[in-house]
Amino acid sequence: MQFLNTLNGLLEHVKSVERETIGLTQEAQLRFVRFLDKNKLCADDETLEAMQYQDIIAQQLSATIEAIESAQEHMQYFMHAFSEDDAIAAQSIEKMHGKLANALEKAKDKHSAFSGKVNREDDDDGIEFF
Amino acid sequence: MPLVIFVDDSETALASTRMVTDSMPITVKQYLSAVDALNEIKGGMVPDLIITDMNMPVMNGFEFLQGLRQVPGTARTPVLMLTTETRDELKAQGKALGLTGWVVKPFNPAQLKQAISRVLRLA
Repeated sequence: MQFLNTLNGLLEHVKSVERETIGLTQEAQLRFVRFLDKNKLCADDETLEAMQYQDIIAQQLSATIEAIESAQEHMQYFMHAFSEDDAIAAQSIEKMHGKLANALEKAKDKHSAFSGKVNREDDDDGIEFF
Repeated sequence: MPLVIFVDDSETALASTRMVTDSMPITVKQYLSAVDALNEIKGGMVPDLIITDMNMPVMNGFEFLQGLRQVPGTARTPVLMLTTETRDELKAQGKALGLTGWVVKPFNPAQLKQAISRVLRLA
């Protein structure tokens, strides 16, 4: 049980660092925008495209925070069962394994879905009219 | 000038789109929340084009689109989804809901300008 408490603490730490990183990348980006505005400067197309990476970084990190929270929730169920009854705990660890594997798959799907055009090798321009 | 509204819960994403559209002959209004944008539209604002993000808290892009279609003034207004999402099933869902098009982030600024010009038939 102790190891699960430690793991839970580690996951809390990871979430905290990720939230801090989202905040820092956003602040860096907004300061850059304010600098451009203040000095009446225009970013070229390549820079404007790169400036959008902050939004993608934030979405990717938010998705991993969601995945961690899902894993923590399943761990909490197991920790509760473990404290109540050994037989239930044995069943619960199997269930927890399945739930954690599911959480991992969902996280991988979101990583792919929230990447936008980043890391894609096709030369699709990314705009599609219906 | 045509009114174009952008809806995105990311302040930095809105900053990027503002810098792209600054030189265009359009009026731009930006919203961090689809709920706020929809409330203004229900209050009488009639945009010529709406560009919205997909993944937003409280009201996502599809829910916003469905809300827009319930308002007489925006029942047929062109709507572009500007998103990191690339899944074909979501695009199909958007198309079925009446989306005009799908733009994947990070967008190419010149191509976004062309897309806006095309929808608004700007010279």
